[in-house]
Amino acid sequence: MAHAATLEIKNLNKQYQVGDKSLPVLEDISLSIKPGEFVSIVGSSGCGKSTLLKLLIGLEDQYQGDILLDGKRIVGTSLERGIVFQEHRLFPWLTVEQNISIGLLNNTELSAEEKTNSIQEHIELVGLKDFANAYPYQLSGGMSQRVAIARALVNRPEVLLLDEPFGALDAFTRAYLQQELQRIWEKEGITMILVTHDVEEAVYLGDRVVVMQPRPGRIKRVIDVNLPRERTRSSAKFTAIKEEVLREFADTPDTVEELTTQTTVNEAPKNSFLTADALCY
Amino acid sequence: MSEITSSVLIRPAGAGRWFAVLGNLTHRLGLSAVGLILPLAVLGLWQYAVNHEWVAIQLLPPPELVWQSLRELWDAGDLTRNLAVSLTRIGWSVLIGSSIGWLLGFLMGLSRTARDFLYPSFEVFTQFPVVGWIPILIIFLGIDEGLKIAAISIAVVVPVTVATFKGIVNIPSALLEVAKVYRFSHSQVLLRVVLPAALPALFSGFRQGIMQAWLALVFVELLASSEGIGYLMVWGRQLMQLDLVFVGLLVIGLVGVALDVSLRYLESRLQSWRHAAH
Repeated sequence: MAHAATLEIKNLNKQYQVGDKSLPVLEDISLSIKPGEFVSIVGSSGCGKSTLLKLLIGLEDQYQGDILLDGKRIVGTSLERGIVFQEHRLFPWLTVEQNISIGLLNNTELSAEEKTNSIQEHIELVGLKDFANAYPYQLSGGMSQRVAIARALVNRPEVLLLDEPFGALDAFTRAYLQQELQRIWEKEGITMILVTHDVEEAVYLGDRVVVMQPRPGRIKRVIDVNLPRERTRSSAKFTAIKEEVLREFADTPDTVEELTTQTTVNEAPKNSFLTADALCY
Repeated sequence: MSEITSSVLIRPAGAGRWFAVLGNLTHRLGLSAVGLILPLAVLGLWQYAVNHEWVAIQLLPPPELVWQSLRELWDAGDLTRNLAVSLTRIGWSVLIGSSIGWLLGFLMGLSRTARDFLYPSFEVFTQFPVVGWIPILIIFLGIDEGLKIAAISIAVVVPVTVATFKGIVNIPSALLEVAKVYRFSHSQVLLRVVLPAALPALFSGFRQGIMQAWLALVFVELLASSEGIGYLMVWGRQLMQLDLVFVGLLVIGLVGVALDVSLRYLESRLQSWRHAAH
């Protein structure tokens, strides 16, 4: 593993069976993702973006078309593809370290020693060295999500899928973790696909932003983000690209409101690291 | 609660000292000392009723007599012998009943097919009270030890099965998806996800099972037995020695509480990660 892979989605179609009716969720999705690329996928609820990730990770396997990783059709889940969900989904009965080690449970490539090293390395990567023995209930939302990222990366997957990973966090923590994720992406050099309904997040992190439209889920447009990193959210170019993405929703009036409110919402920055201080007894 | 205990602890003299000791004990058991007020009031009322001969002494023995009988039975070894007999019955029944309960609960929780096959019958089964089984069991098992253990086991099976089944069915599918992403084998899913996630439910079912066993035990021993705590009570009633009945009640209550408290302690020790209460 450890190298980034090309991910190719060709004419992908997916339906859900509702009673005896077949409901299309994804229609003719084609997308080619270069090794080491960061692709953001935005769209309103119901555009099938989460279903797309479920297909890519292999939790769903009923579809038509092709999903190819380095030219090979994907079958089921694989340690080559990691995922971070919106909820951290840590096992509450395991410590941070044990939760991360879950990722390596069925890894046959590494020796026991290499596994231990990899776990330590990834605990440090997400900055949780002091919390290795903490239980999930002792962590804040942002810290839990960092553990989930470490768990997904510990296998050194070729592709990391992120399903609205920061959607449930407060604005302050979200901005911080977006920066962290970018740092990790640059360091690991792997392919990342981020599904979000936060347009600003999509533009901040993506090399390209894929805009999807709902019912059935289709790709509406792919917008390149040709801005050097680290990007400044307030710069004119950044805002222009953000506006361009938002304009794509103008045709579908029932979704535009939802998207603008979600991206302009300005929560009072709540310091979620307070819980971390409370732990340092 | 600490206010009461501490204010009592300041003057450890006479009756106050007893109260302090009791208060300290209940405090350690995680109970509030105010909980002692009611039993003490009942004790007071009991003594008062005896002193004023509200009820004939044969029907309501004074507390001292009960205490004295308790000590005599203890010294003669009768109490420990009968308690041992009862606890052995409980032990076997809990072992048999919870094994069947866990098996049924796991089967129905893990397999859709097993659930479709077993659940309707099980639901009907839960409707019968233990008492209802006894006439049938007598036919097949006689009135010996087998009957008692079978009847008590039935009382254990129901809560254990229900709790185990619900515990497994309620495991968040989100965690099972994580297991799938990391390519867990069936045994890994069972040992590393299902078992720890269902452990709280397993424990609460086990506790309920033991409590049910304890209730059924007394009933079964009242019905047909020549030894055991329940028998001690029947014997006392027949001899019109109601102090023995009270001793029986006291022992049953105390052992029940002791069992429950020690199980809860074990439960909290096994699940240190479950501090999610706040």
